[in-house]
Order: sequence, then structure tokens, then C-alpha cells
Amino acid sequence: MQLTSARGRPGRARLRTLAALSCALCACALLGAHARADASVTLGSGLFRESGGPLKMNVIMPSASANVELGEPVNLRVGWSADIVSGASVAVVDAPAANVDAISTATVKDTRHVFSGGFTLRDELGSVAVGYNHAFERDYRSDSFSVTARSELFERNTGIELSYSRAFDRVCDLAGTFEPVMKPRLPSSDGCFSEDKSRTERSLAIHTLQAGVSQAWTPQLTTQLTLLAQVLHGFQSNPYRAVRIGKTAAQEHQPSDRARYALGIGARYWLTPLSAALALEGRVYRDTWGITSLSGELAYDQRLFGEVRLRLRGRYYTQTDAAFFSDDYVLAPSGRYFTGDRELSSMHSMLFGLAFHWYVPGDASGRVLGVLERFTLALKGDLLKSAFDNFHYDRAEVPNTLAQVLTLELRAGF
Amino acid sequence: MRASAFFCELLLVVCALAGCATVRPEDKEHLAEPAMTWGSEDLGDEQERHVLDNREGSTGSGNTSGGGCGCN
Repeated sequence: MQLTSARGRPGRARLRTLAALSCALCACALLGAHARADASVTLGSGLFRESGGPLKMNVIMPSASANVELGEPVNLRVGWSADIVSGASVAVVDAPAANVDAISTATVKDTRHVFSGGFTLRDELGSVAVGYNHAFERDYRSDSFSVTARSELFERNTGIELSYSRAFDRVCDLAGTFEPVMKPRLPSSDGCFSEDKSRTERSLAIHTLQAGVSQAWTPQLTTQLTLLAQVLHGFQSNPYRAVRIGKTAAQEHQPSDRARYALGIGARYWLTPLSAALALEGRVYRDTWGITSLSGELAYDQRLFGEVRLRLRGRYYTQTDAAFFSDDYVLAPSGRYFTGDRELSSMHSMLFGLAFHWYVPGDASGRVLGVLERFTLALKGDLLKSAFDNFHYDRAEVPNTLAQVLTLELRAGF
Repeated sequence: MRASAFFCELLLVVCALAGCATVRPEDKEHLAEPAMTWGSEDLGDEQERHVLDNREGSTGSGNTSGGGCGCN
């Protein structure tokens, strides 16, 4: 995500993006029709909004994907999504700011595209899925692949899944060699991934391994256990963010290695008299930067009438700060690293969500609107309120602590 | 290292217990409900996870698919 001088994105890139997406979706649809296969198309968009004082962030998240079942064993999928970002973020953390109106800001404007594709091979014993993602924006590139294998055992009462993904990311940064405390922040994304000698790219490698076991215990109770291990190596700082560490500000400097572990457990219980499901989930997380987090979530999913569902949800999250985090690096430095990332400070948050699903039933012939085999509409809204106990912009409290997320999804099956 | 060993042991215990429970196929009607199926995430759930990954210092909230209904 860039800080920019508000220049527009070249129209040619947008056209290329739309052309590639259209070709992929058309190919899937034609392939499905030709093979008389089961196909589905999903279109949707999300809106993230967070604001407070001079800081604001709006992200529009459109998305399109298609799936084609080519006979019993093979499923193909392609997709595209984007984050269209605009707003104002903090330029120099801990610059003098006695109140929120004095926080120095910079314009943020960028679009991140993600193209994805993959296939799944399936038989009676299980399935293997392979996927590839390519993401790009003006100052970031990412290529990643994933392999997921799963199987069902004990009369399909137990599901076991193992997945591995590897990402090759590249981040734009200032060219040259600097002492960390002397390195200025990247002023804008102008010149990134071009011949500009003042820009360079830093790499980031991400390995993620996840395992999961799900189990049906009774006709009303199912549980799941997930384990995640992730190793990151490379450039993990935000190149635009500067931190005051003395009389001057320097680009934030974070460790280049991080290992992250998470254990999640969940249970879902069907309340037969109410035709509703109760879900309880929890997660413990630790990493080598010193962050420990806990989260718990409770959800109630009510089948209202026919194929309409309403879900209410609440989630609580809390974390400790990173070992090298300090709220004031001038007075209380914490080792050789320094960061202005509020998400590395101790924090907690509450999330409240409401979701509505409507599985539109077919007519007498089993068709929806005469042509579709099935159609689903989903509308979801979340409110996220965060609190930062030990993070300030100089003396000013974090002003933008309330975020809203709204998502609309339409899914059609042919 | 101790944490990794603990996770592996936990996984083994859960796998060992798993075979003890059997739900017959004709009793899986409720387990096949979308609200009861693990991994039946829709776009809204994916985008929420994307937001939380960017607004928290941790990660790893995803669900795997499956859940014993035999419908995946």
C-alpha cells in the first residue's frame, strides 16, 4: 500500500486486468457448458471503513470467481479480487502531536489486484488442491502457491487436512545502504518496480504450514482443531512509516525473521428445537517477536424460514506487545529495532457481526429465474472496536479505533 | 520447540480419540447444515479475516474444511 502524490493509475493496466478477468471467467463458463459440467460464479464486494480525527481509510474490495466441476474428480477455479485503498495515514509516528488534530498525515491511494487459479483432484479417499496467486500493486508484488491435501476417515466422521503455502513477496524501498537510524522513509511509490535508481526491492519469503482435524461426535456436535506454523524471512517493515528516535525520524526497522504459531479449537452444536447452530471458537497465538494473543468467539446461526439464515456473532481479541515495541523510542528505546506499527503494541478489540444468507429456492422445474440451478445472496456487516493501551502519537491517543466492514455476495450455480 | 512438541502430541491425542465416535450417515442431517460445516466460508468471512490479519498482530484464524458430514 503506497503513500502517493495522488497521481492516477495508468488506464492501460486497468484494461489489462479487466481483459484477463473477463477471459478467465468466459473460459470457465464455456468449459463448463461444453463439458456439461457443474459450474458456479461468485460476484461480490466489500467495504472497509475506518476513521477518526485526521486519519481515515476506505477500502473497496470487489471480487469475482468461477468454479467448474469437470466430471467427478476435477474442479477448476479462477478468481480475481482487489483492494481499492484511499485515505490518510500517519506519516511520522511520534512526531509532536499533543492532540489528534496535530497528527501528521499522508495521502494513501492504491489498488491491489490478486489473480488466483487452481484445481482440485478428488476421489473417494480424499482430495488434493493446488493453487496459485499473483498479487500486485504499485509498491508490492507477491507470487504464492499452495498445496492442500485432505481425507475423511472413520465413516467420514473425521476429517484431516494438511496444507502448505509458500509466498515470494517483493517490497519497494529506497535504494542504497543506510544505518537503520539514518534511513529515511520512502516518500512515495513513484518509481517503484521501474528503472528508477533511487528505488530497489526487498524480498520477503513466507512459509505457512497448517493442519486441521475435524470430528463429528454426535448428530448435533462437531469440533475442529487447527494448528498453524508460519515462518517469515525478509523485509517486514512498512517503508513509508517513520519513527522519531531522536531529533530526527527514521524508517521503522523490524527484525527480518519471525516465526508464528497458532492453535485454534472450535465446536458447533445444533439446537434441534430451535433449528439453530451455536458455535464457540478460541485461538491461542505466539510468535518470536514476543506477541501472545488470545481470541474467543461466540456465534448463533438461526434458520429463520425456508432457506433464510441469520447469524449473530461476537468476538473478543487481546494481545501483548512485541518485545522491541516502545511507545516512545526517544525516552525508552527497546533494543536495536523500532516500529510505529500500532498492531505491534498491546491491544484488545471487540467485534460484533450480523450476517444474512438467502438460498433462493428453485421453481417447479428446480430452476431459479429459469436458468440457474441455485442462487445464494449473502449480506454481512461487522463492527470492530479496538483499544490501544500503550500506543500514542506523541501525546495523542489513537483516534481511528472504530472500523466497519460490509460485504455483499451473489453466488449463482449453472 | 516445547510448543511444537505439545502441538504434535495434542494432534496425536485428538486423532486417537477420533475413532471412538461414530455418527451413522442417516444421522448426519444436521451436520450437513451450512452453519455446522467447517470451511464453508463465504466472501464475507474471507474479507473479515483479511481485515483482521491487517488490524491485529497475529494470524491463523482460518478454518479447514470438512466436519464429518461427509458432504465435502
